[in-house]
Amino acid sequence: MSIVRWKPLIHQLPLVRNPSLSLREQPKRYIRCCPKNPSLSSSAGFVLGSKPDSGRNLRPIVEAKAAQSPPLSQETDLISSEQFTVNRIKKTYGKVSVKLERRCGYEARWMLEVSCDLVGKWILHWGVSYCDNQAEWDQPPPEMIPPGSTVIKDYAIESPLNARSEGQSESAVQIEIDGDTPIGAINFVLKEEETGRWYHNKGRDFRVPLRGSSEDEITLSMKQSVSIWPEAFDQISNMLRKHEESDPAPAPILEDNSDTSSKKPIIAFHEDYTVIKEEPVQNSMTVTVRKSDKSSDKNIVDVDTDIPGHVVLHWGVYMNESKNWHVPPPPYPPATKVLRKSALQTLLEKKSLGLGNRGSFALNKEVKGLVFVLKLDEYTWVNNMGKDFVVPIENSTSGHEEKIEEKPGTVSSTDKSVDTGAAPYTENLISGIRNLVDDISSHKNKAQKTNEEQDNILHEIEKLVVEAYRIFKNSSVVEKPDKSVDDTSTTPTQLVVSSGTGNGHEILCQGFNWESHKSGRWYHELGEKAKLLAELGFSIVWLPPPTESVSPEGYMPTDLYNLNSKYGNIEELKDIVHKFREVGIKVLGDVVLNHRCATSCSENGIWNIFGGRLNWDARAIVADDPHFQGKGNKSSGDNFHAAPNIDHSQEFVRTDIKEWLCYLRKEVGYDGWRLDFVRGFWGGYVKDYLEASQPYFAVGEYWDSLSYTYGEMDYNQNAHRQRIIDWINATNGTAGAFDVTTKGILHSVLERCEYWRLSDEKAKPPGVLGWWPSRAVTFIENHDTGSTQGHWRFPAGKEMQGYAYILTHPGTPSVFFDHVFCFQEEIRRLISLRLRKKIHCRSTVKILKAEKDVYAAEIDGKVAMKIGPGFYEPERGPKNWTVAAEGADYKVWEAS
Amino acid sequence: MEVSLSGPKVIVTKLKDSKVKRLGFSAPGFGYSGSNFVDLRRKCRVNWVGLKAIRAQVAVEKNNAPFRKEKVQSQTPVELLVGLPLDTVSKSNTINHEKAISAGLRALKLLGAYGVELPVFWAVVQPNSPHEFDWSAYLAVADMARCAGLRLRVSLNLNGCHRPNVMLPGWVLQAAETDPDILFKDKSGALHKDCLSFAVDELPVLQGRKPVDVFESLFRSFSSTFKDYFGSTITEITVSLGANGELRYPSFPPTTDSEFTSVGEFQCYDKYTLSQLKQAAESAGNPLWGLGGPHDASKYDESPNNSNFFKDHGGSWNTPYGNFFLSWYSQQLLHHGDRLLSIASNVFGDLPVQLSAKVPLLHHWHEMSSRPAELTAGFYNSAERDGYDAVTEMFAKYNCMMIIPGMDELGSNPESLLHQIKQACEKHGVQVSGENSALVKQGTDNFGKIKENVQAGLKTFTYQRMGADFFSPEHWPLFREFVRGMERSQLDADDLPEGNGGGVSLSADSEAGNNREMQAA
Repeated sequence: MSIVRWKPLIHQLPLVRNPSLSLREQPKRYIRCCPKNPSLSSSAGFVLGSKPDSGRNLRPIVEAKAAQSPPLSQETDLISSEQFTVNRIKKTYGKVSVKLERRCGYEARWMLEVSCDLVGKWILHWGVSYCDNQAEWDQPPPEMIPPGSTVIKDYAIESPLNARSEGQSESAVQIEIDGDTPIGAINFVLKEEETGRWYHNKGRDFRVPLRGSSEDEITLSMKQSVSIWPEAFDQISNMLRKHEESDPAPAPILEDNSDTSSKKPIIAFHEDYTVIKEEPVQNSMTVTVRKSDKSSDKNIVDVDTDIPGHVVLHWGVYMNESKNWHVPPPPYPPATKVLRKSALQTLLEKKSLGLGNRGSFALNKEVKGLVFVLKLDEYTWVNNMGKDFVVPIENSTSGHEEKIEEKPGTVSSTDKSVDTGAAPYTENLISGIRNLVDDISSHKNKAQKTNEEQDNILHEIEKLVVEAYRIFKNSSVVEKPDKSVDDTSTTPTQLVVSSGTGNGHEILCQGFNWESHKSGRWYHELGEKAKLLAELGFSIVWLPPPTESVSPEGYMPTDLYNLNSKYGNIEELKDIVHKFREVGIKVLGDVVLNHRCATSCSENGIWNIFGGRLNWDARAIVADDPHFQGKGNKSSGDNFHAAPNIDHSQEFVRTDIKEWLCYLRKEVGYDGWRLDFVRGFWGGYVKDYLEASQPYFAVGEYWDSLSYTYGEMDYNQNAHRQRIIDWINATNGTAGAFDVTTKGILHSVLERCEYWRLSDEKAKPPGVLGWWPSRAVTFIENHDTGSTQGHWRFPAGKEMQGYAYILTHPGTPSVFFDHVFCFQEEIRRLISLRLRKKIHCRSTVKILKAEKDVYAAEIDGKVAMKIGPGFYEPERGPKNWTVAAEGADYKVWEAS
Repeated sequence: MEVSLSGPKVIVTKLKDSKVKRLGFSAPGFGYSGSNFVDLRRKCRVNWVGLKAIRAQVAVEKNNAPFRKEKVQSQTPVELLVGLPLDTVSKSNTINHEKAISAGLRALKLLGAYGVELPVFWAVVQPNSPHEFDWSAYLAVADMARCAGLRLRVSLNLNGCHRPNVMLPGWVLQAAETDPDILFKDKSGALHKDCLSFAVDELPVLQGRKPVDVFESLFRSFSSTFKDYFGSTITEITVSLGANGELRYPSFPPTTDSEFTSVGEFQCYDKYTLSQLKQAAESAGNPLWGLGGPHDASKYDESPNNSNFFKDHGGSWNTPYGNFFLSWYSQQLLHHGDRLLSIASNVFGDLPVQLSAKVPLLHHWHEMSSRPAELTAGFYNSAERDGYDAVTEMFAKYNCMMIIPGMDELGSNPESLLHQIKQACEKHGVQVSGENSALVKQGTDNFGKIKENVQAGLKTFTYQRMGADFFSPEHWPLFREFVRGMERSQLDADDLPEGNGGGVSLSADSEAGNNREMQAA
């Protein structure tokens, strides 16, 4: 029978000193701090089932704590009585049995059974090893896994042991093994689920070699289990012998080996292991001090405990407040040994029926108190919370224990009474300062003193930390954003309105789609929705281009002053602007300044003569557009090839445009502009136009391609957003720009589930909104990208993730008309949250997660959000987060 | 296959062996032998009151030790350090936020930290010429640490750093203006103003002096200036072996800093490196290979999957040319490291300090067979080749401790790379210390990861780094609990040998720790 050790760690520190050799026979000092910490106070566990006298130094620490003193009895001669709770370890012996047998009636089926006869919920934590290195753990083939098992990563299985029959303590688990299995061994450890204890075989895995084992394993087995082998001997002897004769270097077992003869056959195996389960048991002990009725100068101390078995009281007395151990003068109680003149050991009397032990000691009156610990066996001692039990004996009849409180700062030699009650250990206290000074009383003093000091130190630490934080924070240089953009010049709280930002809290709605012109009465239709849009929380609506146009959608303007379009006539336009203003929504006109369609041909058949009030000719057309034979200067931007590009460098053109914009402001009542295709001309001209027309809000469409490499979008889109920023810079910040970068990145993020893209190399948002949030007009779709054109459609089904992102993040979010109605309620919630939490275009984003499948961020510390299938929940902490909105793969919280 | 389960078992195995018992007897009353433990006791006695001694040190269980390992490793407490702010000393050689640091030092001491790490920058010490040194501010910081009773690990950075913006010394950059090729140059010609090319180590490019000589005189100056501090206050010197204070090429873009996590680019386009490449190619009998770096490697932040060079299947990294180039490229790095370590061990060898150097944990893209981020940084590591063996061998040669950052990184990539490096260290007997890559954030398990790594056997652990965020209400409590949690698990081991024959605690806590370990597995 071999022996099993439960607790690996107890062996780490074999205690080497024999008590009888101790220099000072004083009670042992047990330091058990923080008894409220369950992991510390309960030492229960399973200990090696060696014979108690095997010489192993198993010395479970046992603790006791004082319970409430019972009320004083009526007896007049009773001086004091105190009850202590004694926590100790109870040992139960049991057996774990491991059997590997051929299954009845099957030639090639084997069965491994692991059973344990101790009560408990046992779990077999096991794995298999396929090769000769049997220490390896691998996952077994699925057919081997017993029902009810849990797979632990890729190397282990946890299978519960089931009771053999109802009400029986013995439980077992069976694993079926195929005779041809390539598995070389099964390794396991046991776990007792209720206590969480692990059970190893002398600190190793239990190992069941299926085909015999490496040499050392065999010797080990043979030595340990001589008595066991006979049981299985007839089954295995031949095989074993065969194995031993075989090559000592085991051949690797090939997995797909049909030639089973080359593989060693499975060998039966049976071994029993003894285990000891250690359980914490609570006992009590009462110490009563009374006057002796026989002799007036003596007090009697009665000790009574319900601890079964042998109990030795290791005790001494003290004569003064120093509580140093002394041996009282004889006579001593029976069965008492004197140890080196500093302590006595008295075997307590057994009470009948094994109900416990008691003892009685007569002590002289000058004895001020009794100090003791209990010894249960050679290796088990019981103390009182790491200290001696102290029973003060007061000779006054009051029976009242006077406590001398230690004053802070008292020198350590100062005596104090030791409160036998549980010291007020605070969980927060860092415990565990140990006394290396031999004097036990000074140890006690220090231990208590330490608690106070620990408190002070913790206080001190926190004070220092707060100070350090304050200074660091103030001295920390605020890092300037890369671009020399001073975004803080206008703080949103001041509500400074600039055409680049509006009031900073704007939320845009694109009030049309690619089909809106079809009914011919769009202004009318949209006007009916003004109230709804206002109620949803939009502050700005963007109307379609109002002018006469070659294309019905309005982006090929001809006569700029002709405001009758497929969307409605000028009166209807004025009417709708008025309607929106009534509900408090500002209106943006979509102005196409880059190009203009001519109304007639020049002499050489080129369409470059403009009609209407602005009767420009080829001089107003850029020179580098071959199709239209422009006579102006070269374009200051990119060309739009479908129509003549206007040469904004011409003074007369700019004057005319400024005039037109002012007319629109005044006549129609537009509050601002959405500037079409601003890539086509220098942003500086835009600044001119905006300064002249004084819009409340303006946003430009600067749309070019993101960077891709071999078809995959680059992580770093800094160049792309830089181009947009450059344009905004050219307008001197008088206009914002659509954050095409963010839209593009969101595409990749959602299409490929690559949420890590949402944090740039500086852990900021990767789009324009990360660099110049107040000028970024974020959007996920517009009439070109989506609608019926679908030039660059946002990933279908993931629109709300996009909105959860832009509506919680800084920048000025813009919602596409179609989406307002597709996702009305979800968008309403997000907008309402944005307004409620006052998220604005300059809010700060703290990215918390940007991983493969989840992105999470905190905005202004007030809103937390996540998108993506991955997990994120805001930290429980000082802030109380409540869910504000939630949908497919997105969730938004607000701090309350 | 190794299993974390093996952890607790190891302990028992080795402790059950008679060896340990014998050890136990040889040190009566302790049950431990080994100077470390005795040392701990001594400290306990000295710092008796202050929660101080125990706190800093953390008992280590060899949880990740391979089961078959026979070597008995005594449990050593881990020394916990905290990095001082990178801008502790400003470019104008004054101490920044001195009061905050001073308060911080005291707090750390009380919490039980063993010491702090002080980053020293070349540009601060030698701002004007190769002949003058100004250590005054650093000396003042060392004094502060000494007064606070903390140890110092001094990191000698021969490189620059983007945050705070400390580049190479002005006079070095001036030299680089006349000869830009003394700096690392990438494929597009952009210069790294934070790092001298390894190829000029032994060329007289700095006002007629060789960089290695300049470094040596810097080391010597440090050694003589701080002579009173060695052993008592300064216990460790970390030398930077490349960019970012680590043994590596500056494979990240010249404008970004070390937080760059993409693949990066090979840095071999300065004329000195190119000429060495040319030579190497000629002696390899293939002069065409010496014309430049791989033409088909990806750009800094491009996906390596799209690059012909790095792609998993059929990538040119896995061709004779790839092998030639990568071997040469990684050798250059090793030679540079060797040169610096040789100087350092020469200068510091007799001091009672530990020499250490940092190796980056380039786990990004580690899942690709070509390990592209490691390749560009100069570690010829791939699915088929262990690039860290030679590196650790070099560390072993100079008895240099290896500092590995990224101990807080979660995920399988960091784990497997860390495992690989640690194995190499084990093989060559190199001690390992750890750092975290960033302040741990709320709601993450990075501290758990650090704890796990620390308990798996580190000599020291340096938490990076002190500053406003470190002491912020969002972060400090996490850190404090981390330290205290570490100390608790250590307490028991400390508790165990207490008593002169009375009893041994069963140490439920460390047991519980093991359980957690196993359950987490």
